[in-house]
Amino acid sequence: MSALDDLVDDVVADIDAVLLFSPSAGTYDAFATDDADLPVIVIGQENAVDAETFVELPLEFTDVGGRLRFGLEGAAQQGLLDEGDTVACATSMFGDGMDTVVRVRADQYSPTGVYDLFVNSRPEPDVVRDVFEVCIELGKKGQKGKQVGALFVVGDAGKVMNKSRPLSYNPFEKSHVHVGDPIVNVMLKEFSRLDGAFVISDSGKIVSAYRYLEPSAEGVDIPKGLGARHMAAGAITRDTNAIAIVLSESDGMVRAFKGGELVIELDPEEY
Amino acid sequence: MQVDLPRFVRRLFSQEAAFAFSIAILVVGLVAAYLAWRWTRGVLTDSSFADAVEGTPLERTVRAVGFSTVGLIASLVAVFVYVLAIVLALNVVQLLDIQLFWTRVTSYLPRLLIAALAVIVGITAGYRAELAVSERLRSVKLPEVAFLGDLVKYSIFYVAALVALAQVGVSTDALLILLGAFAFGLVFLGGLAFRHLLAAAAAGIYLLLTEPYAIGDEVRIDDRRGIVQEVDVFVTRVESEGEEYIIPNQEVFQSGVVRVRG
Repeated sequence: MSALDDLVDDVVADIDAVLLFSPSAGTYDAFATDDADLPVIVIGQENAVDAETFVELPLEFTDVGGRLRFGLEGAAQQGLLDEGDTVACATSMFGDGMDTVVRVRADQYSPTGVYDLFVNSRPEPDVVRDVFEVCIELGKKGQKGKQVGALFVVGDAGKVMNKSRPLSYNPFEKSHVHVGDPIVNVMLKEFSRLDGAFVISDSGKIVSAYRYLEPSAEGVDIPKGLGARHMAAGAITRDTNAIAIVLSESDGMVRAFKGGELVIELDPEEY
Repeated sequence: MQVDLPRFVRRLFSQEAAFAFSIAILVVGLVAAYLAWRWTRGVLTDSSFADAVEGTPLERTVRAVGFSTVGLIASLVAVFVYVLAIVLALNVVQLLDIQLFWTRVTSYLPRLLIAALAVIVGITAGYRAELAVSERLRSVKLPEVAFLGDLVKYSIFYVAALVALAQVGVSTDALLILLGAFAFGLVFLGGLAFRHLLAAAAAGIYLLLTEPYAIGDEVRIDDRRGIVQEVDVFVTRVESEGEEYIIPNQEVFQSGVVRVRG
């Protein structure tokens, strides 16, 4: 087995930090009390082990690549990692418990801004996460088994409202519904019937539905093949400080845009 | 009012019989105390009381000496019943100045029990309330907020101590005045400190209900002009080029709003 041992040793040789994804208390303690003087960064949905250096995952990323990416970008943004640092990431790929160790150079890939999307956007991180959850839920359920599409524009609501016009009466007028309220889950099915975009404020209030977005689409660079809904989403985020989260009607994917660029792509079926 | 038990026993039996009778009373008292202990224990265990005291410091302290709160209360009741039996027995053999002792003890004993219960319930409720408050405030990441929980806890302790002391007959007038001053201070100073927030909230509720302006409208409040980004209970956020005004809602009310129609 010495060949295998060598391989594992190579993977963890000369690393600058260890990233533990949702470690158990025992695992974390073993690392924290280890005197190898290696920085330990904990990444998870909640800081269950009270670690000093912690990066919060807003979603339970089932795709390991996305999870690593988010953790690395988060650690880099918080100044926990320098460019050129080499780190070992311990995470779980199949089910519970850590089963995977990955060696990554922090600048090995270009950052997609997925951490930035959650933490440094105008709307609050909780609001972004709630809208994601609504989209994922809607993508899973659909309407009577049929795929549906939806477009949520989150943040900078005042400007978005001025760059759009109503398609019909606003059902949310004089109501004070916030994404994340339990009632929103009940309204999910109804959501999918409404055409146009949903506008959500920085604090998560659903400002309007049935909005026809009228941004200028100049210079918007989104992958070819995506439809009008995605184009509108990309364009409005370039024109305002909002972010847009889209549920695609044709392929059922959830995509997020910021600054006119596609930032993240999730498959609702995996959640 | 009482039946003159000793004389009655002596008339029926002899002096020796009276002594035997008092021993019998002691034995019956023992059995009654045991039954009372079992009954209290059963009732408290069946009710949700055992769950409520679970994990409070009182329970832990009591546990440390090999007891439980339920057991403690049950024992208190048992002791109460047994002491009653002893007093009755002493009464029968006429070892004490019965009349005086009897009236004192019978009036004092229940109050002592109530005082003990008040202390136990007070401590349990205090810790429960502190837990509930700190649970509520957990999302507020400010260490000083823990002070609020302590305040609630000690307030409840204080009231429980007042009830207990009043029961055992200690004069509590001074403590009551202190409690009054505390409550008054809380309400008065609270009102004073929060009066701006209260005014803003009152105006904010009107703004939210009637929505004279909505998110996306262009407005002018005093000389601040911009697009409404957010309206909540306390403030209105108005954004213009590069500047965001956070305006307390009572100010919106006092100076009025100009809606700019484009």
